[in-house]
Amino acid sequence: MMKEKDLRPKELGRPAEQLIHLDQLMPLSFPYDQPGMETDFPAVKPEWQEKYCTSLDGCVAIDTLTRPKTEEEEKEFIQQFLSGLGKVFSDANNSVLQPLKLSFEYCAKCNTCSDACHVYKGSGENELYRPIFRSDVFRKIFNQYFTSGGKLKKKFIGADIEVNWETVARLGELAYRCNLCRRCAQTCPLGLDNSLFAKEIRKIFSQEMGIAPTPLHAKGTMLQLKTGSSTGIGKAAFLDMIEFLEEDIEDRIGRKVKIPIDKEGADILLSHNAGEFVAWPENPAAFAILFEEAGVDWTLSSEMLGYDSVNYGIWYDDAQAKKVALKQMKVAKELGVKRMVIGECGHAHKALGVVADRYVYPEEKIPVESWIPIMWELVRTGRLRFDPEKNNFPVTLHDPCNMVRQMGIVQPQRNILKVIAPQFREMTPHGVDNYCCGGGSGFAIMSSPNFGQFRDKVSARMKFDQILRAFSDTIIDKSIPKYVCAPCSNCKGTIREILSHYQATDKFNVRYGGLVDLMVNGLASIDKPYLEFLSDQQI
Amino acid sequence: MILGLSIIISACLFLGLSAYKAFQYAQMPLHGRMELYPVPLEKERHIYGGSYMEEPQWWSKPREISKTAELIDMLKEMLFIKKLFDHQRSLWWASYIFHLGIYFLIAWMLLLITGALTDLAGASVNAHQTLWTAFLYYLTIFTGLVGFAITTAGAALLLLRRIFDPVLKKYTTLQEYFNLVLLLAALLSGIIIWSPDLTFETARQVTADVMTLSVVPNTALVIHFILLEVTFIYIPLSKMSHYVGKYFSFHKVLWENEPNLNGSEMENKIKNALGNKVYTLWSAPHMQEPSAK
Ligand code: SF4
Ligand code: SF4
Repeated sequence: MMKEKDLRPKELGRPAEQLIHLDQLMPLSFPYDQPGMETDFPAVKPEWQEKYCTSLDGCVAIDTLTRPKTEEEEKEFIQQFLSGLGKVFSDANNSVLQPLKLSFEYCAKCNTCSDACHVYKGSGENELYRPIFRSDVFRKIFNQYFTSGGKLKKKFIGADIEVNWETVARLGELAYRCNLCRRCAQTCPLGLDNSLFAKEIRKIFSQEMGIAPTPLHAKGTMLQLKTGSSTGIGKAAFLDMIEFLEEDIEDRIGRKVKIPIDKEGADILLSHNAGEFVAWPENPAAFAILFEEAGVDWTLSSEMLGYDSVNYGIWYDDAQAKKVALKQMKVAKELGVKRMVIGECGHAHKALGVVADRYVYPEEKIPVESWIPIMWELVRTGRLRFDPEKNNFPVTLHDPCNMVRQMGIVQPQRNILKVIAPQFREMTPHGVDNYCCGGGSGFAIMSSPNFGQFRDKVSARMKFDQILRAFSDTIIDKSIPKYVCAPCSNCKGTIREILSHYQATDKFNVRYGGLVDLMVNGLASIDKPYLEFLSDQQI
Repeated sequence: MILGLSIIISACLFLGLSAYKAFQYAQMPLHGRMELYPVPLEKERHIYGGSYMEEPQWWSKPREISKTAELIDMLKEMLFIKKLFDHQRSLWWASYIFHLGIYFLIAWMLLLITGALTDLAGASVNAHQTLWTAFLYYLTIFTGLVGFAITTAGAALLLLRRIFDPVLKKYTTLQEYFNLVLLLAALLSGIIIWSPDLTFETARQVTADVMTLSVVPNTALVIHFILLEVTFIYIPLSKMSHYVGKYFSFHKVLWENEPNLNGSEMENKIKNALGNKVYTLWSAPHMQEPSAK
């Protein structure tokens, strides 16, 4: 039998119930280096094998990719994929043509990028997740079908892959084993970007074949365009939530805070990931407290898409991304605000601040910026005052890839932490060299049927290890709370999942939350702790 | 005559095809922003990877850029292959001596041409005549010896690494082996031709013969010239033209973070790009809505 480490890109379609097995993952640091600290991967259920493509690594990311029932369906599936592949280098894909062609053409196969990838490293250096593995399959299939020449020439250029249903389906799944974090691109001596291939494969599946994970498409962008939010929250429910938030703030800190809604001509339209209202209402509440205390002229919007900054389109479908971003921009424009500020959501930062920057003419949009520089300005100028003793426990910072590596917002959040958290310590590595949380590009919200296991055990493994190392001095002391500050909704969601998966909160008192939550907790003007886990804990 | 002419034509083709490749990349449609930090253009902030977006209301403030920092980073990559040095030292040694050797060989060729012109002008290039001829004489020897030695050693090491490294060999195509073999063949044939005269006077004489289209052929020289000509023409057509690609991947993709502001040059580019009609359409049902096109 072939050894899994000998797997080569041309063998992606070879017959096997499962191409690789995830049984030799990267060892974790203390105390998770002890036996019995981690559970094994649960077995793949026969009904999943029958229905989905589990033949890659036993995990299923694309729940809408189902096995064909007839030979015709199988052929049509391959045909559709090839049709999409042909469009990747056409005018249908102008917005990415140049970078993609460069990465397609120039890879020197030097393998410098592998060590940068947390998925590859976390998997125990499994060949399947090497950043160039996926890219090479893409190249091989493209060269096989879209370059001229006979068999000999194709063999010469490496177009030697057998393309069957399994090849294409596994490639689709493999596109969802990359977080699109672009850390590998930072190390490439030729400046090439393997994440582009993962993204293009996702796009072919969505834009050509109509296949995309339900949480991203049907319950993601489609739901957002229909109801106003990917959470499904409509305007009325949103307004109820705001009322609840105001009451909650009063309960928590004994202060009446009025949250402005649809205030025309406000300086700032603050746009949150709507998931925050549902999962972590203390986060939008913290923004309201801080902005009110500093006297900022701001508002939220109750218009469709105005109250949800997410844009899952940027992970799998350019057209969906554009539709969502244009509607979000329109809301801001119609409200007549001076600027649009994105709250704690990394991909929303990138979607509106960077990706959508070239969607329209300048006069059609409102300037977009991150909340972090604004908040640092409020801290720096003394409009927000803190008692750092309130945050006197170990705090580390996770750098969301979208804000940091892909936008260059690195320092202001650190400046804030240095003021408010006396025991702040960096992860290693950090800043633009950070590792992705493991939930990037949709993984944070993809769990079923068993994809959550891949995220928690493999793609988020490096982040969990970083957290353990950042708190190595106090990890074993359960009386000391340790706070992972993750100023991004998706990263926070992933960290919630890993802390729960590894029982790190129960066993070692490792907590997580946003940066604004920590700021409010440290505000000099508030008496009670804002972070719930501190209420019943003496620091 | 044919031998001289063909090498001149192949050298011109090398330059022309490389320029054409650059032109093709330059003509490609404006792409979405894909910058990756650190972006060296960001004055001072580039040291830790920051950008203008760290400023509140960044659009209302003058952008602080540093062309010098960009140039320094570019030179670090060009002259030192810094990313490979930082991230894969074991491969860097072979790659670096190979690329450095190419720079030496380019210098050697330019010195041969200059020397040949000097010879043709009547001032013989040797160690004694003038400071200039002595300079040409010794520098030609130095660049040639070092160039041939380290480029060949580098190419051989790269080939061996590719053959024996269990990871690299899985990803290497026949064409990628061929690229290195072709370069090695051209280098080794050069060593065979020129090594009997390590002062490179013969090489300078042949260069002068090429320029006057009066090369006297012999089998070894013909083989070397053919290999050299194939290499010259093949490089810009293959991925070995990464000297073109690397410029675009860094300057036009990873380091390109120009915002779309009123009255900016980018605004014009966007106007042009948005005006382009798209003829190829995607087929998924949701792509058929007018707003998706
Ligand atoms: S983009 Fe990130 S997850 Fe994807 S291959 Fe590169 S380093 Fe790995
Ligand atoms: S580092 Fe760049 S050139 Fe080297 S294998 Fe990775 S993508 Fe290819």
